[in-house]
Amino acid sequence: MPAALELRHVSKSFGRFHAVQDLSLSVPAGSVYGFLGPNGAGKTTSLRIILGMLSPDSGELSVLGSPSAMSVRNRVGYLPEEKGLYSKMTAASVIAYFATLKGLSSTRANQRARELLGRYGLGAFADKKVETLSKGMGQKVQVLASIAHDPELVLLDEPFSGLDPVNQEVLEDILVDLKARGCTILFSTHVMSHAERLCDRLIILGGGRGLFEGTVSEARSLLPIRITLETAEASPLLGILPGVRSMEAYSSNRWRLELEPGASASAVLESCFERSLRLRRFDVQDPDLHEVFVHLVGPSARETALR
Amino acid sequence: MRNALLIAVREFLDNTQTRGFWFGILLVPLLWLVASQVPLILARKGTPTRHVALIDTTAGERLFDVVLDQLKTAESRRELFHFREWAASRLKPGQALPAVDKQPQAWSRFQEDLGPLMKADAGQFAPPAPLNRLVALPAELQWRGDLSEFEGRLRDWMRAGRLFKPLGVDEEVPLFAVAILQDGLTSNAPPILRFWSVNQADTQLQDRLVDALSRNFRSREYSRLGMDSSSIARVEGSQAQLMSFNPRKAEGEEQVGVADLLRQWAPSAFVYLLWIAVFSISQMLLNSLIEERSNRILEVLLSSVTPLELMTGKLVGVAAVGAVMTLGWIGSLVLMTFWTLHTAGAAAMAADSIAHRLPLELATLLLDSWLLPAFVLYFLLGYLFYAAVILALGSTCNNLKEAQNFTGVIALLMMVPLVSITFIPKDPNGPVATVLSWIPPYTPFVMMNRVAANPPLREVIGTLVLLLLSDVAVLWGCARIFKTAVLRTGQPASLVQLARWVLGRD
Repeated sequence: MPAALELRHVSKSFGRFHAVQDLSLSVPAGSVYGFLGPNGAGKTTSLRIILGMLSPDSGELSVLGSPSAMSVRNRVGYLPEEKGLYSKMTAASVIAYFATLKGLSSTRANQRARELLGRYGLGAFADKKVETLSKGMGQKVQVLASIAHDPELVLLDEPFSGLDPVNQEVLEDILVDLKARGCTILFSTHVMSHAERLCDRLIILGGGRGLFEGTVSEARSLLPIRITLETAEASPLLGILPGVRSMEAYSSNRWRLELEPGASASAVLESCFERSLRLRRFDVQDPDLHEVFVHLVGPSARETALR
Repeated sequence: MRNALLIAVREFLDNTQTRGFWFGILLVPLLWLVASQVPLILARKGTPTRHVALIDTTAGERLFDVVLDQLKTAESRRELFHFREWAASRLKPGQALPAVDKQPQAWSRFQEDLGPLMKADAGQFAPPAPLNRLVALPAELQWRGDLSEFEGRLRDWMRAGRLFKPLGVDEEVPLFAVAILQDGLTSNAPPILRFWSVNQADTQLQDRLVDALSRNFRSREYSRLGMDSSSIARVEGSQAQLMSFNPRKAEGEEQVGVADLLRQWAPSAFVYLLWIAVFSISQMLLNSLIEERSNRILEVLLSSVTPLELMTGKLVGVAAVGAVMTLGWIGSLVLMTFWTLHTAGAAAMAADSIAHRLPLELATLLLDSWLLPAFVLYFLLGYLFYAAVILALGSTCNNLKEAQNFTGVIALLMMVPLVSITFIPKDPNGPVATVLSWIPPYTPFVMMNRVAANPPLREVIGTLVLLLLSDVAVLWGCARIFKTAVLRTGQPASLVQLARWVLGRD
């Protein structure tokens, strides 16, 4: 699959502060790409570099085949982290205004604005001033404003922050719809469950560097599989089970096992049967993205937070 | 440039679709209307009659009659003014009011002359209530021959704000003033007027009384010294005739008239408009930028447009707002002039009266002179200079409070042309005006003010070129600051940092 967006060894510093260091990533066309990282990891700076608002100190980038997003800006949509709209404009006119700035004719932009507001449950508020809308509605209006021109690539900076669970679902629907029609989506988030559900690939940033890049399952495989095991009677044989890296005993017949990288839980189960262990519980726990995230960025993020 | 235009249109609509904007446009002619009409309305409706008491303690001349005569004459003149106004609106078509002598004796003849000129259904003139009515003091304030004792009672009575019912008046009224006439300190000294009133702001009555007493005293002194007081009064009343000529005017038309005075002072009015326009729309620009910056709309905009497009769009949009605003002011002022003339009764005005010629002279001046083109040119160039600076500084601030630190300094700098409005027309080609003309931020205001004085052509062109170059330099530097600062967060930039951004060192 060709890449809709590529960064190769991109760096950016502000004075002595290195906001982005040697960042490389590749976002396949038509995929949903997660941009994960703690506060101050360089996500917003990276997005601004991608959008052409900031020039990198070094490195190269390709946005929809162009070295600068500004030359393909009408094919790119952007939602910033801090949301804001013109409070005196109506919901429909503000969406239409941003769409005209992206090249749509005034008539077409107005049609699109009303069509999108209707589709995502805001049809009745099309002619209401933005200042009269709730925060969640305003945020949805801004998301719609970023996609009204049918972009090929959408960059969303923390799109879920500030939304209630119902509106988070609506936003997920919007992203699914966008993906279904072939749009490439890159979004940053702190909420790992969204990334797990939506992302085809993701990058985890820490201290301005890319700490991991790959699929969700590849990310999970960075941490060992854990098994909670309970037998009917006390057994000393567990230490010789295959692929077990460490074992923690909760009691004489209950253990928490951590497997070697690449070891499989089924091999452990087979070995238990071979040893005629009478199992009362065999609970396999795959590491989730949250654990991977904390594992990768935890120490540096904690340092940054305390600083 | 399509995006810059879209931004300009939004900026224009955003500013002009508010009630405050149109209220601001209407406010100028409204204030003008109030300033020109309120005195007339007050004169027509009349202030409430003031009740005045007079005590003559003088031993020699009967000054009471002198004061009484003065009050009667003033009331007669006021009545004549109202009568003229009443008559002016009831003349037959094409008729004008005949001239009238200021002496009351001639007024009955004036009314006779007027008779055939009036419409048949003119009706009867109702004279206005008197402005000052002389009344007798209430019983408790009777004069008992001792001034300090009387003034003690008077002070307490007036301080208590008491009301009384004078003879011939049906209601209880306050005592506006008590005038006590006293002999001078020596036998040949002028009399003293002791004027008691709680209203010390309106000095019209006391001035009139002092004037009447002074004239009477002078007249008596002339007689005492054996001089003919009536001849002296006639000589004193004469005045040299002034005929002012301007050598720059066409041959045979050198005499200076109303049109020339208008031509000389009209630029000052335009400078004032220019100042208000530049100042207020620069504020609009700043407010709009701060709104976009503080709620992060700028970030979305900059994903669609370049900083230069954004800056251009905002400058053009707000310039259009300023153009509508100033056109609104000029247009409504011209309309108001015609309207005022119409309501005052154009036909009744003597053909050579200033009020009659003012709108025509104003229209001629606007259409035939360089005023309007100069105004448009200096408005644009002045606006670009200040707006670019405001945009650049505003782009470094996170909120209005931070921005006010900068705008305060700019407002102070802008006070110089405001102060210069009155003194530049008096010496339009003098050293101060010339020096100020060469300082680019002041050039638009000062040169606009000098338009009527035909400044040397080399100065007009030189200052214009310098202003243009300054505009280009300021726009270039400010665009660089804007581009760097607009997405920046944190503390507002220092002057050193601004300079580094302009030089591209950051």
